[in-house]
Amino acid sequence: MAGLVLGACAADDGPTSTEERDPLRNGPQGNVAQFIVECELSHLAYDDPIVLPDLPGESHLHQFFGNVDITADPDYDRVIGSDTSCERRSDTASYWAPALLDETGDVVMPTKLTAYYRPGPGVDPATIEPYPAGLMMVAGDAGADDEQPLEIVAWGCGTGSVREQRPPDCRIQFDGDTELEPTTPTSLRLWISFPDCWDDTRLSGLGSGAHVRYSEAGTCAESHPVPIPQLQMAIDFPAVDPSGLSLASGGTETAHADFWNVWDQEALENEVRVCLNRDLVCGVSS
Amino acid sequence: MIGSDTKKARRAAAALIGAAVLVAACGGSDDSSDSTAAPSAAEAPAETEAPAATEAPAASEAPAETEAPAATEAPSDGVRSVPDDYPTIQEAVDAAAPGDLVLIAPGVYNEAVDVSTDELTIRGLDRNEVVLDGEFELENGIRILGASGVAVENMTAINYTVNGFYWIQADGYRASYVTAQRNNDYGIYAFDSVNGVIEHAYAAGSPDAGFYIGQCYPCNALVDDVWGEYNGLGYSGTNSGGNLTIINSQFNDNRAGIVPNSGSYELCYPGRESTVIGNVVFGNSNPDTPSKGLADLAYGTGITVAGAHRNVVERNLVYDHERAGIAIAPFPEENPNDDLPEQDEWEVPCEVQREEPLAEVTPEDLVADTYLVWNPYFNRVADNSIAESGLADMVNSGFGTPTEELGNCFAGNTFTTSQPADLETLAPCEGEGSGDWTVDAFDPIQIVTYEPPAPVDYQTVELPPLPQLPGMDDPENAPASPAVGLPAAVETGSIALPTEPFYSSAG
Repeated sequence: MAGLVLGACAADDGPTSTEERDPLRNGPQGNVAQFIVECELSHLAYDDPIVLPDLPGESHLHQFFGNVDITADPDYDRVIGSDTSCERRSDTASYWAPALLDETGDVVMPTKLTAYYRPGPGVDPATIEPYPAGLMMVAGDAGADDEQPLEIVAWGCGTGSVREQRPPDCRIQFDGDTELEPTTPTSLRLWISFPDCWDDTRLSGLGSGAHVRYSEAGTCAESHPVPIPQLQMAIDFPAVDPSGLSLASGGTETAHADFWNVWDQEALENEVRVCLNRDLVCGVSS
Repeated sequence: MIGSDTKKARRAAAALIGAAVLVAACGGSDDSSDSTAAPSAAEAPAETEAPAATEAPAASEAPAETEAPAATEAPSDGVRSVPDDYPTIQEAVDAAAPGDLVLIAPGVYNEAVDVSTDELTIRGLDRNEVVLDGEFELENGIRILGASGVAVENMTAINYTVNGFYWIQADGYRASYVTAQRNNDYGIYAFDSVNGVIEHAYAAGSPDAGFYIGQCYPCNALVDDVWGEYNGLGYSGTNSGGNLTIINSQFNDNRAGIVPNSGSYELCYPGRESTVIGNVVFGNSNPDTPSKGLADLAYGTGITVAGAHRNVVERNLVYDHERAGIAIAPFPEENPNDDLPEQDEWEVPCEVQREEPLAEVTPEDLVADTYLVWNPYFNRVADNSIAESGLADMVNSGFGTPTEELGNCFAGNTFTTSQPADLETLAPCEGEGSGDWTVDAFDPIQIVTYEPPAPVDYQTVELPPLPQLPGMDDPENAPASPAVGLPAAVETGSIALPTEPFYSSAG
């Protein structure tokens, strides 16, 4: 039957932790409330204002999207109101992930980032609260030595439903006929889903006792009682031969991403209120 | 029988025939070029002499619906004037109650207005002089969010980073006497909305489409007397149809004119049952436009039914196209989100389809390196006048499925060339066809290998000057007219084949 595709791909490998996981987020857009932002690459830098604050040049190489003034400096007041590489001019937040490298170690330049903001799976849309200004989050495990759960980190092709734990070959094959070049190349896409429950107190918190975590079966735990939008970041790259790809943080299994809420806070609050709280699909992406 | 082959067989056939890559409709993968560094919306003053309404709040400043400005008493007549009663359109809208009329005086308004209240009528006093200007900073001129029955009349929206006028999940909508130019997705856009009318409207310079109705079945929508030029597509509708009628309209000098289409990237597939009658469609081979998505796929065609079903295309005047005048063609979708609906699912209403339990789809069904082919079934092309087409006046083609099994029919058209040749004999609308389908058959691989001209940036593309089109009658005194009970029934039988354009482009 025509319908969404949820959870099928996850069934094979299952979650890596004992935590009960919600279904994969994929399938056609239009059934779940969302607002979206599309951004170009802003800059590449060996900086990480969350993990290595005030230590410029000490990080693995990151690709930054959104706010154009992000460095290792975690000072919110310095970057609020900066310009953005996003189409939505009020989104001056920062999104970053380790650079993707080809087999020779060269950077595979991303073509764009799409940020999907939605209620977490099964979470009552009316209860979602905006991120507090300055909230910092990390999703995925930079130190992973094995595949991560597809619900958090996945590779796919464009906006399609394919979700794999290693980058798939997204180049369309034509039965061995190399003469037929696609007019418009598709993309290799990295999907990262962020936690959707907040502890109502801290703006950041690495390691044990993180300030954010994932909802389970549509509910935020008592320790992290505030449902916040689930950010799903999708970074597109040219469809390349996936063999030999790695990330600046290690193998492709180390995929992770960071988000710093430097949105124009009023604009963010408006989108949460009029789109998510009212359960509306305010836009769809390519 | 069409339904006899399995999904996998169809997919495999598609993979064998050819593979290449397409961008899904609704927003392509071209870069969203950086806008110039721009001031924050809040400090953007109106460029021309605007009335007091230059305060230009970003949408985010909208107070909650219930917080009407305390200073303003609710008017007894339900008319809320901008800027006399409220300095901004947003404040007037937020204060308004269902049934009210928001009346906007001439001026330039740097606003992105969000509407969440049912049955408002939002009206400019002068179509051409009430101008909402997003200045490439703000997203949508007027965005109607799940509110039913909101009508927008007699105004212009330009330079928005997303859409000019945008209805989301509305039951009842109407756009009348509106102009939209240089907006980065669509000029006038109704998404997941039903029971609406778009009429006496103009849209130019949008990369995706000037006019778009998407994700509804049945849509119950009427597009009447609209004019789209210099867009990627004049009209586009993904997964829409069902009492959706496009009449008496003009689409010229877009990349492609009218394109109903299907795809699994949004809900409610396939696109089906749009009726396209009495339109003038010409010169849609214009490289000097912005473009996204399907606009490139359909470049150089007047009317393309892209993988949609049971559409009716009659009595249209179609001429001067680089590729095809009217093409009934497949849409090969890369990176699908689902498999094709079976034939017994083709008439399932959108509201039912979207709620059905999700199919379990194994990874083999969604392989990365091929695509899903939406073939066009049971479309009717009759009594059109088609001329001056580069490739063929009429094209009928399947992809993976033999064209003769699609059930499309052609009759009574005035035309010179077709692919395959002698199409009206092969596929008549009454009786059995005969002939050889292989003569001059269209090769569908060219759909995915065709290289359209490069897009032009939407902010800087040269466009015809804004036409000074007639506005509504007596906007100051006409009563509020919320969008309820729409659309009125249309007698399409009396619509004649047009003989010349309705509008003359200044471009």
